[in-house]
This record gives sequence, structure tokens and C-alpha cells, in this order.
Amino acid sequence: MSARLIMKLRVAEARFITDDTLLLRLVHPSRPQLPAWTAGAHVDLVLPDGKVRQYSLCGDPAERGSYTIAVKREEAGRGGSAWIQESLVEGALAHVSAPRNNFALAETASHHLLVAGGIGVTPILAMARSLAAAGASFRVHYCARSAPTAPLLEELRDICGERLSCWFSEDGRRFTAAAIEAPRDEEHLYACGPLGLIDDLTAHALSLGWSPEQIHAEKFQALRDEDFIPEDFEVELSSTGQRLHVPASSTLLAVLQAHGVPMRTSCETGICGSCICDYSAGDVIHRDAVLQLAERSHRVVPCVSRARGTLTLAL
Amino acid sequence: MSTLDTQTRTAATPEHIAAFDHPVGKIARETPGGALGWRGTLLHIHIAPAASFEMEELTEAQCVAGRGIVGDRYYEGTGSYSKRPDVREVTLIEQEALDALARNDPPLQEGPITLLPVDHRRNLTVKGVPLNHLVGRRFRVGEVVFRGGRLNFPCKYLEELLGLPVFLPLYNRSGLNAGIESGGVIRPGDTIELLD
Repeated sequence: MSARLIMKLRVAEARFITDDTLLLRLVHPSRPQLPAWTAGAHVDLVLPDGKVRQYSLCGDPAERGSYTIAVKREEAGRGGSAWIQESLVEGALAHVSAPRNNFALAETASHHLLVAGGIGVTPILAMARSLAAAGASFRVHYCARSAPTAPLLEELRDICGERLSCWFSEDGRRFTAAAIEAPRDEEHLYACGPLGLIDDLTAHALSLGWSPEQIHAEKFQALRDEDFIPEDFEVELSSTGQRLHVPASSTLLAVLQAHGVPMRTSCETGICGSCICDYSAGDVIHRDAVLQLAERSHRVVPCVSRARGTLTLAL
Repeated sequence: MSTLDTQTRTAATPEHIAAFDHPVGKIARETPGGALGWRGTLLHIHIAPAASFEMEELTEAQCVAGRGIVGDRYYEGTGSYSKRPDVREVTLIEQEALDALARNDPPLQEGPITLLPVDHRRNLTVKGVPLNHLVGRRFRVGEVVFRGGRLNFPCKYLEELLGLPVFLPLYNRSGLNAGIESGGVIRPGDTIELLD
């Protein structure tokens, strides 16, 4: 994964679009153009304690002068969204990375099926906008509690028109994975939202014959398995043959860094993708929320993922 | 509390190799030669609080002997390469090298590259200063005395950060890594001269 510039951007606009979601438009104080991005990309917002949070860009990739993100207040979260909503008023400065895309549209697809759950609408909105502009064939399912609590609903309606299906549970229309049918040729499925929604959707789609390559998911929360018990494993670096021991008490990333392997890191919770590396052999226990299904056969996220036995890294 | 404050507060005081203790600086110090009789100017000063953070331009900067420019990542120990001791107190690059990139000279890439002073990630952009001749030499920028320690070397990291193919075109004109012999304040417009 490549390095990304961290810029000090100014909040040009800050307004609540629902009771708990703040829309922020960020501009550079001196550069008229920001680094380019494609639909599905996110930026890292650096908090005062140096930790980072990922937010999908929900604006128009063709508009190079600003980035737009929507930040939902997560009362049970780690405090990042609360700080952002309280501190990032108009005129405030925020450290924001150049965009990265872990959730890109498939160029070869003939039809795109997009599913958004709640605040997961942010990348889906950008994707729908790009697809509509390109005249591509697509359909969007938007699931939320109710219309007034659904961020960016009006924008999505304007872009999609008849191509949008809304599922508001308070209206008695709860989305279930059963709304997804068997894939047409070169149809791709994209989902962004709560873990439960994505897991159900992925399992259902696989059972209907969708291939892992056709399923793209973005979840801004790493997998948390309370029952997971880490165990020791070995890692071998294919370039040097060096063998390292990863004790249950440490992470693969920490062991690599301790042995002088230069690694890029950012979130260290399995969601940003900074430290992704390739592996050539081994039984990986994937615990990240960033790799697509099709990538898991050859890529690993060393900040959270582990292995059984010996893992051979292409480093 | 800003991000900058926290990042710098948690960093350890950086380790630098003194310019004339560096293996190449030591050899060059004992080798006569180099351009004489030039007189250059400091055009821009830039610092960044930590690795990957965009550079910020200063109208004056405090230089501290043996450590760097106050507020910069290599002063704070928060740079990409801070954990590998080297001559990194201050880095300089020639405006003439940036001008050559802008006219695609030599034509090593698709076309001209606009590498702005805010983007090249060296601290000082200078004009009329033969930086490749200053390894093993003492020179002054305004009131501050510098020691040239080694030639700067382009890195792939910069290419990744900028999304610009600057690695090859910067080769051999990537500037100078210097140490600070005696500190003080520098400002754009300051005169730069060879001492010995």
C-alpha cells in the first residue's frame, strides 16, 4: 500500500443532515485542487491523539476542489465521531489524508447492484453518481430506520430516480438478503453498512452462485470475535528466508516491525489497509474488515490477522 | 490540543549523525575542490510536523545546532527515517533542479513535472547554490552555519506521496543533507555563502 499525504484542510461547510449525522465539506487553504479520487474511496481523518478514522467520500469525484464526508455520531464508539462533531465547525482545520480506494467499482461489470445500510450510504452515493454519469446499468437498495433518519436520501433519490429501492424498517419494510437474486453475467454486488447486513448479504449471495470476485463489501468496523483466542505461529519472509516467531501476546505487524521490516501502518485495527502484504503459503486467520473475499487467498492484514503453523510472506 | 502537539510530544529526541562524521562527509571534507565565488539566496523554508504530513511554509525558522529546524519532523524525531540515524537535521534543494524538471530536462519521463517547493519535502529551497559541491563544506545561510554531510537521494516514498514520477528525474540533483554547526534564525531572502 502506498504512502499518502496528510493535508491540513479547512472546514468550508458543516451542517447536520440528520439528527446525528454531520456533513463536512473540506477544502485546502492554498491549493485549488485536491488529490484525485474515484467512487468508493475514503480518507483518513487524524484525531488529536494521533488515531485515525476512515470516512468515505460522498461528493462528486469530478469536483476536485473539495472533499465531502458525512460523520454519524456513534455514542457507543471510540469517541472519534463525538470529537469531530463538536470540534469541526466551519473554519476549523483538520488533518486529512489523501484518498485511498479499497471499494472500487469493477470496470468490467455490465450491471452494478449497490446495497447501503444507514451511514454506509456515503460511498454508495458516490458510486451511484459515477455510474449515472457514465450511463452504466445499476440499482440501489437503501436500508435505514426511517426516511428522516436516512442520511443523503434526497441526493440519492435525485441521482437514482426509479433505480432506488428504499427499505425503512419503521414503515414495516425491512431489508433482507432475500431481496438479492442470482447474478446475471458480469453483475457485481457492492455493500456498505453494518457487519450483520454485510455478512447476511455475502452468505446469501454466495449461496445463489455469486462468486467472491463479484462481491465487494466495505465495513468500517473490524471483525470482533469475543471468543477468539490468539495462538503462537511462525512467519517466514520469502526474500530472505528469515523465520520469526509470533507469540500469542503479539501481532504479526509488531513482530515484523520489531525485526526491522519497514511497514506502513495507520489504524492498526484492520480497517484501513495500510499494512496489507502478500503471502504465498500458509493458513491465514483473517480478522480484518478491509480485504475483499477474492483477495484473502493471497493477501493478509498483519495488524489483526494471524495464521496457523507457518505463514510465508512475500516480503 | 492539535495533532501536531501530540505527535511531537510523544516522539523521542532524534539521533543525528554529525555532517563531518558521516563516511562521505568525512572524505569530502579532506578532498579539495568545488565551486568558489558563488553567492546564493534562500527562497523558501518548509517544515512538516511528522511523516506524510504536508509541508508548511515559514517566513522565519529557528535552527538548532545538532538537531534541526524547530517544528520539523527531523527536529522532533517523527520523520519517516527518524529511526535510522543519518545526516538529516536540514535538507536543501536547488530551485534550478525544480526548473529543470519543469522544462522536462533531461526528458526522462512523459513530460514536464511541476514540483512545487511545498511538495518536494526538503526544508530549504535555494537559488544560485551549487549544493552538489557542498558535501564536506561549511557554508552559511544568513546567520546560521551549516555543514554539508552527504548528497540527498530521491526516495520512492516521495513518488507515492505525490503521485508524481520524480524518482528518476531527481537523481543526482536531489539536494543536500546538512547539519547545523551554529544555530539561529533564517528567513527567505537570506544570503548563502561558502565558508570553507
